[in-house]
Amino acid sequence: MTALEGVSVYLPSARIPIESLAGPLGLTGMQVKLFRRFHGLSEISRDPDGSLYDLLMKAATGLTALRGQEHRVRYVLYARAMPVVAPYPVNPLHEVCRALGLGHALAFTVTHQSCAGGLLAIDIAGRLLAADTADGPDGPDGPDGQHNGSGPLALVLSGEKAFTRAAQMFADTTVFGEGASACLVSAFGVRDRLLAYASNVRGEFDSATGENDARLQREYRPSLAEVMQQALDEAGLTLDDIRVVLPHNVNLVTWQRMCTLLKFPRERVVLDNIAVSGHVFCVDMFANYQTARERGLLQPGDRYLAAAVGAGGGATFAAMVFEH
Amino acid sequence: MATPETGVEGEFRLQVVDTMTTVLARLLDRSEPVTEDMRLMEELGFSSTFGLELLLELEDQLEILVDVELMDQNVMETVGDLATFIAGHSRPA
Repeated sequence: MTALEGVSVYLPSARIPIESLAGPLGLTGMQVKLFRRFHGLSEISRDPDGSLYDLLMKAATGLTALRGQEHRVRYVLYARAMPVVAPYPVNPLHEVCRALGLGHALAFTVTHQSCAGGLLAIDIAGRLLAADTADGPDGPDGPDGQHNGSGPLALVLSGEKAFTRAAQMFADTTVFGEGASACLVSAFGVRDRLLAYASNVRGEFDSATGENDARLQREYRPSLAEVMQQALDEAGLTLDDIRVVLPHNVNLVTWQRMCTLLKFPRERVVLDNIAVSGHVFCVDMFANYQTARERGLLQPGDRYLAAAVGAGGGATFAAMVFEH
Repeated sequence: MATPETGVEGEFRLQVVDTMTTVLARLLDRSEPVTEDMRLMEELGFSSTFGLELLLELEDQLEILVDVELMDQNVMETVGDLATFIAGHSRPA
């Protein structure tokens, strides 16, 4: 069963007040007030001097579970929202792999699901590793090998630079921050086991045409609730079994309304990072996981639900259920 | 959605309606008056983002804070419905 062996998150310490972004982003006074009052966005994390490589490296080198296990890493998946992040032939992913001693691993990017790509990458990583164990549970890549600390691993990276206006803001909805995460995935780990994954890709919500923007606004929360329920059904659980929800940090009011819709206590949704980091693309789930652990919200055996919506060239609604 | 017509709450609701119709006419740049029975989406082209902008203006002018997380747009069809919600789900700023 797919499991998270370790998670590391890097959020730059530099914080930009939302008011300071009004000029660069062309925000009106009303839009700034709306972001702060209802969307709960006060500050955005930015690393003005750091490159994408720097961001990814800071997250990856903080991943203690990776140290000494580099030889076991078979895949490196880089989940990101932006389809293009560097001019050819520059490839930050391959540079990071070389620097980490992972040049032997098969490395590729997971994209086109915007901010839901992080969950997809975990799912792909687990399935690739599981497929490698086709020689059976007694083989070197099977569950026994994993428990002996010799089985294959995958590294899931995410993180982006908010380097264009389109990458810095989704109109009247969210402002993006910078950061990165690194997550070590195994096929048969014992902790933070993935119990279920559900994903609904809705190609009709293409922001490029804007034709269905109003419909997306109307259906956003019901569609997110639907995919969360699908993941719960697949796991054989109900919301009552869920200790905490790890949201995507799109904004505060969306998740306040989600809590009302789901009848789920707001204090059990990890909303802490919205105000101080903004929406950090695919990194939110991992940052909120780390916050949940730091706050002692997760005890062994607790089930939690991660949920994300990726909106852009179509919309993806995704949810995962884990057991800590 | 029921409309309270009497008492202090009813008076506040009328104040909300009065302010809201004025603000809406300005935000929508309408020369014709906005009335209580107008449908938010079909007649005024409401979106959730526009609704939040309207709430910000109302909060400023009426010096209140609205419990926006409790809003359910599916049961708020008209300007009057929204005014009733705001009158019943707000507190002094």
